[in-house]
Amino acid sequence: MPQVATGGKPKGAQASSPGRPRRPARTWHVKVPGVPGATSGRGSVKIASGVPWIMPALVLCVGLLYYCIGYTGLISTWNWDGISPNPKHVGAGNYSSIVHDPLFWGAVWHTLIFFAVTFTIQTFLGLLFAVLLHSKVKLAGIYKVVIFTPVVLAPAIMAPVFREMFSPTGQLNSVLHAIGLGALEQSWIGQTSTALPAIMAITIWEFTGFTFVLYYAAISQIDSAIVEAARLDGAGNLRVITRIVWPNVAGTTFALATLSVIGALKTFDIPWLVTSAGPDYATNFLGTYIYQQIIQLDHVGYGAALSVILLVIAVMFGVVLQLWRNRRADH
Amino acid sequence: MRHHVRLRRLRPLALLASACIALPMAAQVNAGASVKAGAAHAKRASSASGTINWWGWTPTDSTLANDEIAQFHKVYPKITVKFKLITIANWVTALRPALVSGAGPDIFEMQPGAYVTEFNSFATNMAPVMTQALGANWQSKIAPSGVSGLTYNGKLTAASVGSVYAGMLWINQQLFAKYKLTPPKTLSQWVSDCAVFKSHGEGCFVQGNATEGFLQDTLQSITNSVQPGLWTEASKGTAKWNSPGIVKALTIWKQLFSNGVMQAGSLGYQQYPDANNAFLTGKYAMIMMGTWYMQNVTTAGMKSAMQAAGVTNPKPFTALPIPFPNVGGHPSASYGDADYGLAIYNRSKNIAAAEDFVKWLATSSEGQQYVANQLDDLPSLRTIDPNFKAIQLVNRAAQQGAIQNLIKNVGSVTQPRESLLSSDVQNAILTAAQSVGSGSATPKAAADTLQKAAVAAGEKFK
Repeated sequence: MPQVATGGKPKGAQASSPGRPRRPARTWHVKVPGVPGATSGRGSVKIASGVPWIMPALVLCVGLLYYCIGYTGLISTWNWDGISPNPKHVGAGNYSSIVHDPLFWGAVWHTLIFFAVTFTIQTFLGLLFAVLLHSKVKLAGIYKVVIFTPVVLAPAIMAPVFREMFSPTGQLNSVLHAIGLGALEQSWIGQTSTALPAIMAITIWEFTGFTFVLYYAAISQIDSAIVEAARLDGAGNLRVITRIVWPNVAGTTFALATLSVIGALKTFDIPWLVTSAGPDYATNFLGTYIYQQIIQLDHVGYGAALSVILLVIAVMFGVVLQLWRNRRADH
Repeated sequence: MRHHVRLRRLRPLALLASACIALPMAAQVNAGASVKAGAAHAKRASSASGTINWWGWTPTDSTLANDEIAQFHKVYPKITVKFKLITIANWVTALRPALVSGAGPDIFEMQPGAYVTEFNSFATNMAPVMTQALGANWQSKIAPSGVSGLTYNGKLTAASVGSVYAGMLWINQQLFAKYKLTPPKTLSQWVSDCAVFKSHGEGCFVQGNATEGFLQDTLQSITNSVQPGLWTEASKGTAKWNSPGIVKALTIWKQLFSNGVMQAGSLGYQQYPDANNAFLTGKYAMIMMGTWYMQNVTTAGMKSAMQAAGVTNPKPFTALPIPFPNVGGHPSASYGDADYGLAIYNRSKNIAAAEDFVKWLATSSEGQQYVANQLDDLPSLRTIDPNFKAIQLVNRAAQQGAIQNLIKNVGSVTQPRESLLSSDVQNAILTAAQSVGSGSATPKAAADTLQKAAVAAGEKFK
């Protein structure tokens, strides 16, 4: 049985306090009699102190998640309907087909646009709401509830509502007509030109509350003396926001960017439930395309290859964002 | 921070933005006779008992299925059947994982074409059951489409309950009478009728073009009017999907959009529930549906369907089938398949009870009479016809003759509806139709793409 050799604070906690002297890492000593060289001077292996704590998650991740990823990678080399006991091995054939598949590239393009638009607008609105509600606003609690409520509503519940709202005879067109903007009435989700913007609008409506909450918390952490000093120096609202608030919530913005990238890559429920990824694939995303290939068309191998590509893109974006963050931190 | 960033001038923005966010939530708040077969119900001796689950996409009104189950239960009181209605759009999504995981229903519905190809390995061979129920010459006693379409590599995957045919429009007779219009027989009349309806603020023709299946019916009907039989030939591979007749059909399809026949935003509509509900609530005068819509000529069926569409105090209107307009130079023939057969899950723990139910519904005269009288499917047994004396119609004077004519006409149908098409080809048809409808492709380009997709899907062309 492993034994605790030393006490003290966890290593991570020490690392976050650069001004303090470092203590040696906590270690576990396990006797390994038959493994020469693997022992310490006292005949035991040194294991980082956190290992037992992360073991359950590690076993779960390696045993389940990475196994599934590996199995998906294997399936991606098959031409398989998901049922047949004898899948046909096609090597990289599925990947080759994907490269020449215009629907795949369309889905990638939609994902990029979706990310750029939703992230930008959500960031703007979320920060705006957070700043506004940090000022003296009556009934601020109610506003917070109203802004955050869409986050907790399930897309499956809201999808029929938005289908109705955006239909040619829906509430949006009725409102436009009532206020004299009848010329702007559209078949919002029934035409390729407006279906994607409609999906993005729904997403912004749904997740701006989440952005708001994070910014609200981040702004709370800004030292009030900095803002006060800026005020004394004559800084107006806009300057305080752009020169004080915005730089100080950069970490939150980075986190939101990461979450938005992941969210964009995973986008499935809203486009599927509201527009069925159409019309004419106008709201097709990688998630909906994978679902269509695997579930509706039984192209499980092809869908698995799409899933692997999705994973690679996600990791790639994660690395790029991390590098960007590190570079900012260095500067 | 709270006391330092004071943005009073921006507070109205907060109010406005909050109102925008609250709007959809407010919208959410606002959104929002049984047929007697007449047969005696003698209890059958059966050793089977227990509860069996039946999953299906039809009857689309689960009340009808539950009525059938109630009739069955009178004969087999020891067997309980539970029906679960799953929309056709979600059928594969729901059934596939259930069957693969071993948790599938005892009985599931099967349709000729892609479903038979995909799910045949999960079904027992129903031929012995049919032999037991109808004798060695059972094939001669049921509609041919109920045998060929449901057979896969010599195995009868399901027992046909009934057939459906498409290739006709259904109209709201009250709306036509109100504006003194006659049902369209040509494309130009179709366009002019729609113009009149629109001028009075009424919807004309409604169709769900967001998913495949129903737009395929319209395309097949147009093609049959352009060049009779061409669609079936393309389905078989004896003609190409980009042959001139198909291109012309796609051109006419596009005209339905540009001439105001197709409702605005049809590419975002699902046939069920969007288009169906729009028709049943009286917002549109025409819809493309098949013989399964006969259930809406019965008072009970129409009331139930209207309630399901959101009408609180339904007043049934007269729905009538009319031939598909001659849009391409020839009368457009109907087409059809076995609507559904009942397949028994080969991992069911109660196959005996499941067989009793399937035999009763698919092969017994009382079960088939019940199917016939519901006017959902045309019964599989050749000797059974609907007993109109036992059926309460919304408007007998107008509807009984029309329905009898419809049943008579589809009796000579030779073209299949879906049984020859794989899911890949159906998906390619959807893509072609949507790309033409949205204007992102010309009819010729869309037909070429469709042909390529069919070849890629493995369809062999001669």
